[in-house]
Amino acid sequence: MKYLDRETFIHRLDPRTKILLGFMVAILIVVLKKPSELFLLFFSVLILFGILRPAKSTVKAMFIIMITALVFTMISQGFFYSLEPRTIIVTILSPDSGFLGNITGGISMYREGIIYGALQSLRLFSAMLLSAVIVMSTYPSDLLLGMESMGMPKRIGFVITVSIRFIPSLLDGARRILLAQRLRGLKVKGIRGWFRAFYRLLPPLIIDSLRNARRIALAAEVRAFTGERTKLKELTFSPRDWTFLGLSTAGMFMLILCQEILL
Amino acid sequence: MITIDSFSYTYPYANLPALQDINLRIEPGEAVLIRGASGSGKTTLLYCLNGLIPHVFAGSSCGSVSLNGFTPLEKPLREIARTVGTVFQNPESQIFMMRVEDDVAFGCENLCLPREEIISRRNEALHFMGLWDMRHKETFKLSGGYKQRLAVSSIYAMQPDVFLFDEPTTDMDGESRKDFFKIIKGLKDKGKTVILVEHQYEDYLPLMDRVVNMEDGKIAENTASAKTFLPTREAAVLSSSVISMQQVCFGYDRKINVLDNIDIMIGKGEIVAFCGDNGSGKTTLLKIMSGLLQPNQGEITILNIHKPALEHLVGRVGFLFQNPDEQLFAATVEKEIAFGPGCLGKKTDVERYLEIAGLKAKRLSHPQTISRGQRQILAVISIMAMEPEIIILDEPTTGLDNKTWHKLIALLYDYTDRGGTVVFSTHNERAASLAGRKIIMHKGRTINDEISG
Repeated sequence: MKYLDRETFIHRLDPRTKILLGFMVAILIVVLKKPSELFLLFFSVLILFGILRPAKSTVKAMFIIMITALVFTMISQGFFYSLEPRTIIVTILSPDSGFLGNITGGISMYREGIIYGALQSLRLFSAMLLSAVIVMSTYPSDLLLGMESMGMPKRIGFVITVSIRFIPSLLDGARRILLAQRLRGLKVKGIRGWFRAFYRLLPPLIIDSLRNARRIALAAEVRAFTGERTKLKELTFSPRDWTFLGLSTAGMFMLILCQEILL
Repeated sequence: MITIDSFSYTYPYANLPALQDINLRIEPGEAVLIRGASGSGKTTLLYCLNGLIPHVFAGSSCGSVSLNGFTPLEKPLREIARTVGTVFQNPESQIFMMRVEDDVAFGCENLCLPREEIISRRNEALHFMGLWDMRHKETFKLSGGYKQRLAVSSIYAMQPDVFLFDEPTTDMDGESRKDFFKIIKGLKDKGKTVILVEHQYEDYLPLMDRVVNMEDGKIAENTASAKTFLPTREAAVLSSSVISMQQVCFGYDRKINVLDNIDIMIGKGEIVAFCGDNGSGKTTLLKIMSGLLQPNQGEITILNIHKPALEHLVGRVGFLFQNPDEQLFAATVEKEIAFGPGCLGKKTDVERYLEIAGLKAKRLSHPQTISRGQRQILAVISIMAMEPEIIILDEPTTGLDNKTWHKLIALLYDYTDRGGTVVFSTHNERAASLAGRKIIMHKGRTINDEISG
């Protein structure tokens, strides 16, 4: 999941608007209970995702993850659903089928469990898709800027910026170390082999990172870094943001009200 | 103006002073080269000028340092940074932001300048350093040369009077070094004071007003140090070929060929250096020779194996990556040497290898705690201990001073005397001249193949 360089209206929204939208969706995920409304929530987030015109491979990956998660949650919830009333669809092991049936109390699949699993998945997917929308439409540094202006300490913001910035070089380093091990004859086969390789990967990787950290610290010192600084980029709330926030807040309350009144 | 008066400095927990009785005056606008072996105190001297000593490294000192009329102790680092800017060796660890233009502004933001001021300084720096067209690029996508240029830009935007460079071009190829020459010239023309520490300094001499030699923490007399004696070798006779490549082509994707019709024969006992700029295909060629990559086209035979895969060559061909630190994973120096042979189920004489590496005293030290030069030697020795028939080294000279490089090449000659073959790549022409044979590469082709006597 990476930033997508596009010019959509979601990209142009202030990062704070998107973070607030995240909070709203989180509230809805907890509050909403009816299948139709959860589906509506999922569908709205899906539309936002669609507006970003994500690459085919991203859509494919998302789809595979979601389908797998959906099937697994539905099946597992189907078996382990314990609230009454529950309707049995299939019985795999009846409670009176001897020893196994006795200790397990019988294994059956329940209709309510499957529905419950589907709903849980809808909740999970809404959250997942919205995080994807935020990450794909906001440049990492802008997202941090948004968080900082909403109260996150600046030093933590700097730490996160630097760590994101160094992920690619850390991965490269790890890749080279593993290759160097193979070239020295280490055979990476089976779980034990992987464990051995990993055990030998960590010391050089960590020590190299520490050396690097020291160099980075010195470079930050000579660039006058103290934590207190002018922010070149300032976030501005545009009418677009206000409109979007207004509409989403209205939408959120409508969904909640509908649920409470129509129940 | 910079004045250093009988200044001595000792690092915390160190027994010996790193700098002893330094006297130096540098006029505004002067360009000074500081040279000397590793550990001679060059970097420490720079730290005294940019305030890292005493603000980050405590230690004890006597004598005085004065920068434009103030001492580093009087002012916090943030204030010193307005006068003195420092560019370090590794550009990777000097870039903080994800986008080029954000990184150029990083230092100015830290100086808490007004926003308009930052923008104008940033844009000026981008133009001056020729980075304007790539200002929106992601920093990790830049090439090594451009990353270093970016590191200079971010210092430049802070508008210091004095620029300190601590081995800024060690990791660069000839082309990028030429570019860097222009940058330093540009700074000098603007009236900035430039103090440069560099091992491969020859290219920069025309720009320098003065050369300061350092030795064991002191400023030495202007005498050339005695050259390390190296036996001259006769070119190895092409007895039997261990590497043979015919019309080898390779590309990481189908459109661009990184290697274009390579024909090479390397005989047993040879030491061959591949020279050329970044992107000329040196590293790719070495990776093919070691079985890490397979050619798309052409014939290749290594140690009498036709088109070998990596599995065939592990243990028989040793490969050393550029950064030795990523290749030392054992708990002690002696275990490091025994690691490769152990994996291959071979017996090895650790004592002898410790002896020739000169690391006997450090046998129980953790490999990551010995000095940079020793780590490079250890990485090579650990490969030698596997008794491979060929050793391939990718840029082994990076970050090494001449003394260590001479020691390393002597080890490699010793190894070829025992029947081994050595292939290495380097963008340091002088390092290459110590090899028996030098092959120059350009844009994926070999353009010159000469045997030096």
